[in-house]
Amino acid sequence: MADGTATAAIIAAADSWGHVSRIFVGVTGRGRRFPGAALGEDVAVDPGEAGRLAAAAAGGDMTAWTALVEGFSGLVWSAARGYRLSHADASDVYQTTWLRLAEHLGRIQNPERVGAWLATTARHESLRVARGAARLVLTDDPGTLDAGRADENSPEQAVLDTEKAALDKDRAQRLWRAFGTLPARCQKLLRVLIATPAPNYAEIAAALDMPVGSIGPTRGRCLKQLRQRLAGEVSGIV
Amino acid sequence: MRDEPDDNELEAQLRQVAARFDPVPAELIRTAVGAFTWRTIDAELAELVFDSVVDHDDAAVVRGTQQARLLSFRSSDLTIEVEVTATGSQRTLIGQLIPPRQAAIEIRHGDDVATLDADELGRFSAGPLHAGPISLRCGTDGAAAHRVVTDWVSI
Repeated sequence: MADGTATAAIIAAADSWGHVSRIFVGVTGRGRRFPGAALGEDVAVDPGEAGRLAAAAAGGDMTAWTALVEGFSGLVWSAARGYRLSHADASDVYQTTWLRLAEHLGRIQNPERVGAWLATTARHESLRVARGAARLVLTDDPGTLDAGRADENSPEQAVLDTEKAALDKDRAQRLWRAFGTLPARCQKLLRVLIATPAPNYAEIAAALDMPVGSIGPTRGRCLKQLRQRLAGEVSGIV
Repeated sequence: MRDEPDDNELEAQLRQVAARFDPVPAELIRTAVGAFTWRTIDAELAELVFDSVVDHDDAAVVRGTQQARLLSFRSSDLTIEVEVTATGSQRTLIGQLIPPRQAAIEIRHGDDVATLDADELGRFSAGPLHAGPISLRCGTDGAAAHRVVTDWVSI
């Protein structure tokens, strides 16, 4: 199904964001980031492609590295935010994770699992930072996932906007607020699950140190709780 | 009448909302791309093998009234131990090369590189540095000239 509008939007986003995004101009009309992805899904990065990119980057290919950063940035950021780190601490985790990958590229045993490697590294760094390396920022409340900085022009937003009708702002805010009231365990799982692009279950398991088999059931329970919170909000029950 | 979204739809909506309210900051993506140029081709990697913050807490060193964090990086023939003391968002490092030897040390942090020397007993100190990712490079001279670079770690 051709969708020239979507492709045009991706190109427009790339132009405003800089040359890095141009790599992804040549994708399907639905704006997915990697070729070969099935239509109609929020797609995880294909492991075969990830392996090729990791191997190429290990050989010095900057374009391949850039594609890895594009494909897995959402996962790394979401892992850090899932651990309820402040924006500043999550930024440190994100940077350290990518710097570390740059040094480890040639020595990853299974390059097609670079997504899980990144998720595991982000988890270790998040725990490090959460346990005592965190900078003291007096205004941060570690018990609250701070709102982050809404970026209506982010590349992720450009992709998502072209894929389906955006939620209206009121619904979006209610949903995000209800998400923030979930128990920590649910926020942690869901925050990683809802990364863009969507991670696969092996990557989620690596980010959370949980068995792949329990992801599905936990997801179901947490989404059910979220629905209850939303219903409670609508009817005025807190 | 709007039907309730099923699990897949609700997940997709959440994904949309997360991308809207908590996206990866664009400037971070740019620095991650730039991280590629920091990679070291001509040095051995000394991996982080111990961190008192996540490994044995009782091994942390008490220095004065402050608890220092202990990091240990190991390569094939050199171990670099670093004590990190935090004051607010500033960090001070005291380092030890094992086996002890004189060496040139570079501490990469943020966009900066701090250069200093380890004395003949392999000791060095640095700081205050701002909190964030750091990596140390260690070069020794002589017949067995050899460069080691440590894993990046957030301090």
